[in-house]
Amino acid sequence: MANYASKVRQDIMRWRQAGLVDAATAATLLSDVEANERRALSFGAILAMMAALLLGAAILIFVAANWEAIPRLARVLLLFAVILAGYVGGALLKLRGQAAAGEALWIVAAAAFGGSIALVGQMYHLPGDETSALVTWGIGTAVAAVALRSNPLTVAAVGIADAWLVLKVAYGFDMYRSFAFPHLFVVMAAALYGISFWTRSQQARHLIMLSLILYAVLLALDHDTLAVAIGLAVLSAAAFAAAVAAPEPVERIVGLGGRLPLHGFIGFLTALVIIQFDRAAGSGFGLAAAVALAGIAAAIVFGGRESRGLRWLAYLGFAFELLVIYGVMMETMLGTAGFFLAAALILGLLAFVIIRVERRMAGVATQAGAVQ
Amino acid sequence: MTGKRLIAAALILALAQIGFLGWIIAGRAAILRDGKEVLLKVEPVDPRDLLRGDYVNLGYDISSIAPDLIANRPTGQATSSDGRLTVRLKKGDDGYWRPVTAWLGKAPSPAASDDEADIAGHIAAGWDLAGDAPISADYGIERFYLPEGEGIAIQNDMRVRPFGMRVALAGDGTAQIKALVDGDRTLFEEPLY
Repeated sequence: MANYASKVRQDIMRWRQAGLVDAATAATLLSDVEANERRALSFGAILAMMAALLLGAAILIFVAANWEAIPRLARVLLLFAVILAGYVGGALLKLRGQAAAGEALWIVAAAAFGGSIALVGQMYHLPGDETSALVTWGIGTAVAAVALRSNPLTVAAVGIADAWLVLKVAYGFDMYRSFAFPHLFVVMAAALYGISFWTRSQQARHLIMLSLILYAVLLALDHDTLAVAIGLAVLSAAAFAAAVAAPEPVERIVGLGGRLPLHGFIGFLTALVIIQFDRAAGSGFGLAAAVALAGIAAAIVFGGRESRGLRWLAYLGFAFELLVIYGVMMETMLGTAGFFLAAALILGLLAFVIIRVERRMAGVATQAGAVQ
Repeated sequence: MTGKRLIAAALILALAQIGFLGWIIAGRAAILRDGKEVLLKVEPVDPRDLLRGDYVNLGYDISSIAPDLIANRPTGQATSSDGRLTVRLKKGDDGYWRPVTAWLGKAPSPAASDDEADIAGHIAAGWDLAGDAPISADYGIERFYLPEGEGIAIQNDMRVRPFGMRVALAGDGTAQIKALVDGDRTLFEEPLY
């Protein structure tokens, strides 16, 4: 990021000398670059967060080993000390301007809280599987995120909720009888979404969106696959349409940095993959494939100009779609040579589409620039 | 957020989390210290897969309850609903405590003699109350965490001879594992903390 900022700074100086911008504009641009540069994640901040996650993992595994060399009361007190030192020390660091290190310490403290829950469970042979411990841990972490107004802690709380969902479903599939699907996850996601506005955590909101798609996938696997997948496709398409039709009001509500179309598109593609695998041997596959292709085209037409990421996701989806269609429709008719021929055709078609669309998008951008 | 407020928030948060954990520890230690001690017979639940990581799954002879033991079995209701089950235990001649009566919900009157005690359990929805097939109940003592590396030996021994579990019961019937015993020998005795 630093490279980009210094490059822009050089460019602004050059434009200023060439007379392209006046002194006031140059100063505004420079201050804007500076302001945004500081907000960007630095390499050091990322390293600090990785160190915190490793330390947190070390604490959790230390507890899980049920190691008898240190008396367990000493281990409990050690973890309590880490909780106290982590939260308070992190706050002190944050006030001194060391925001990244402070947030990292908070993550360590949250991990120590989780480790303590596990240790207390071991000490008294508390019943219930890991999922109930995860709920307690997640609530504690969410409370910490609110109290400290912390973005990383909000993301961590979402991560714990995700782990709860996955474990719950995994245990459920493990058992022989039917199990209660963890619909509570939707409530957790909604609560964390609300919290994320207070903690100013756009990252948490993105993770929640992706988690909800995961929830739908798990629900589809467990329940009536087709109905759930169709529901996901319709909801995703609606989210996409709303975000494209009224970007600003929708953005004010969801606060996803203008990336709701991307999430909607991911949900839509996921749903259609499920539908097509579900229908691969039965009727309706052709219809599903046609809807998928139409959806991809529509995504590029309506949302592709604003988002490069969405465009590339569309290409990926398109390539995958071609492979799926080939796999289902042609596999039985062609041999290996046919596969290579088909692969060549698919890649050629893909390249053709990408080149055409990218050129059009570039052309549109140039035209828009010329009009202004 | 101003400086002092952030530090105050961090301090309160840390103390709240530590206090929550301390409260759980204190509650469990109180049951261990003051609870009524009973000895239950251990029965392995699944011979293939007792050991799961760092704990063993345990069943007890009181894990299956005959429906006719339930004193307040509802007449119009064929299956159980998800909820509490209280089982009154009585000390047998061999030292093990066995169920004598059970109630859905709480016991109508407290256990009278020293040879009796109530344990609080839980039954899932859908068990057949009208028939003779036993109902499965759990009491929150079905997991036993073992020190690292000691699981396999215990698991193997458990298959060949009966183990017992000394359990402390709180006044409301909450059960807390106290010690795993192998015949007359106490294998793991839990300290208060």
